[in-house]
Amino acid sequence: MPGLRLFLVVVVSAALIVADGRFGKLSEVRSTLATGLAPVYWLGNAPANLSDWFAGLFVSKDDLQQENEDLKARLLILERRALKYAALASENNELRQLLNSAEVLDDRVIVGEVVGVSPDPFSHELVINKGSNDGVREGLAILDAHGLMGQVIQTSKFTSRVLLVSDSSHAVPVEVVRNGLRAILLGTGDPNTLDLVHVPNTADIRTGDLLVSSGLGGRFPRGYPVAEVSDISQEPGDPFVSIKATPMAELNQSRMVLVVFPAPKADGDRSDPNAFNGDLPPAEGEAP
Amino acid sequence: MLSVISYPLFAVSILLALVLSISLFPLDWLTFRPEWLGLMVFYWTFRAPGRFGILLAWCLGLLLDVLESTPLGVNGLAMAVIAFLVLTMHQRLRMYPLIQQCLMVFLVLGINQMLVHFLKQLLGADNTGFSYLWPAATGALIWPFLSGLLDNLNRKLG
Repeated sequence: MPGLRLFLVVVVSAALIVADGRFGKLSEVRSTLATGLAPVYWLGNAPANLSDWFAGLFVSKDDLQQENEDLKARLLILERRALKYAALASENNELRQLLNSAEVLDDRVIVGEVVGVSPDPFSHELVINKGSNDGVREGLAILDAHGLMGQVIQTSKFTSRVLLVSDSSHAVPVEVVRNGLRAILLGTGDPNTLDLVHVPNTADIRTGDLLVSSGLGGRFPRGYPVAEVSDISQEPGDPFVSIKATPMAELNQSRMVLVVFPAPKADGDRSDPNAFNGDLPPAEGEAP
Repeated sequence: MLSVISYPLFAVSILLALVLSISLFPLDWLTFRPEWLGLMVFYWTFRAPGRFGILLAWCLGLLLDVLESTPLGVNGLAMAVIAFLVLTMHQRLRMYPLIQQCLMVFLVLGINQMLVHFLKQLLGADNTGFSYLWPAATGALIWPFLSGLLDNLNRKLG
């Protein structure tokens, strides 16, 4: 009796869809199932890993040496910058303490790898290989080397799902670095375009302005670059300018991402071998 | 109807379909990715209507829901509908020439995709025109190869 079974399935599905879609009651069931499906994620990522490994077999020694040199040079530049930054950060924190501000700048991060993309081309989501076992939880911000990528929307034990800033259901509160002008940055469903909305005609904003997360709304940490204004078009008569921005993060390409934990509160942070505080190692001329 | 069915092949093919549904894929081609799990449900209900049916299809759909992070039950319902349609017409389907089978695959997968799309829109997704039917079209195109391959493997392993 396929008809009866179909009817039964339709009723149960309808109940599930309402419970999950409208009330979000089933996140634990979903998380359990996702944990069970972890091998699928690993296998899905295997071809990419294999091709990386294969490509690694045929790199010439010269190329490797060249790359090593380049990386060393880059490391030197970054270390110099980090030295300056360490001094600035400590000074900044002192100033903040003088102002009685509770906020401390250093965020803890762990590195994750993208192991899957959403099979639905109309939703911009990624799966990364860090889950609740690594301390990842819903709402944490995800960065790549260039800027904010998105936020964690669902975790299982070994993987979590990341909603990208370009998804049409995503919004980030941002501010313009140049003058602190605040606005909301919406995803459009196009990985290369974001919309800056509700900016009045008279606002001081130009193409090329850098937009950083403002920390308002309490979801994203403050001060990470999100996008760059790429196009401004004014329609006479409209109350707002229409502004397009290009995300800084390489939403389509990045394989390695950073999961940012908000700065630990006074009750002390857990020590995690994967994680490091913003504290930089003492600068030394030579490694032992 | 095949006389023999290999259960390990069934498990492997379903696992492979799930992996292919999420594996890293050139992003521009994502729209054209065949509905792998739908094809598998179609194949296995078609070949062994006595053993695979609506409830199993529903459970597999739930797994796809978790992978796609659609609300639980959306793909479950749509997969169950595939199984139901195949169960009601598998005897006629067997008489059809291959071209006509492909057409039926397109129709059934199209109904599946339409249902998923409709439910997602009820829950607040964007309208994206008719491009959501591509998985059904590409699925129909690879159906002859897929069914041929799985038939051969079934005969060897079963």
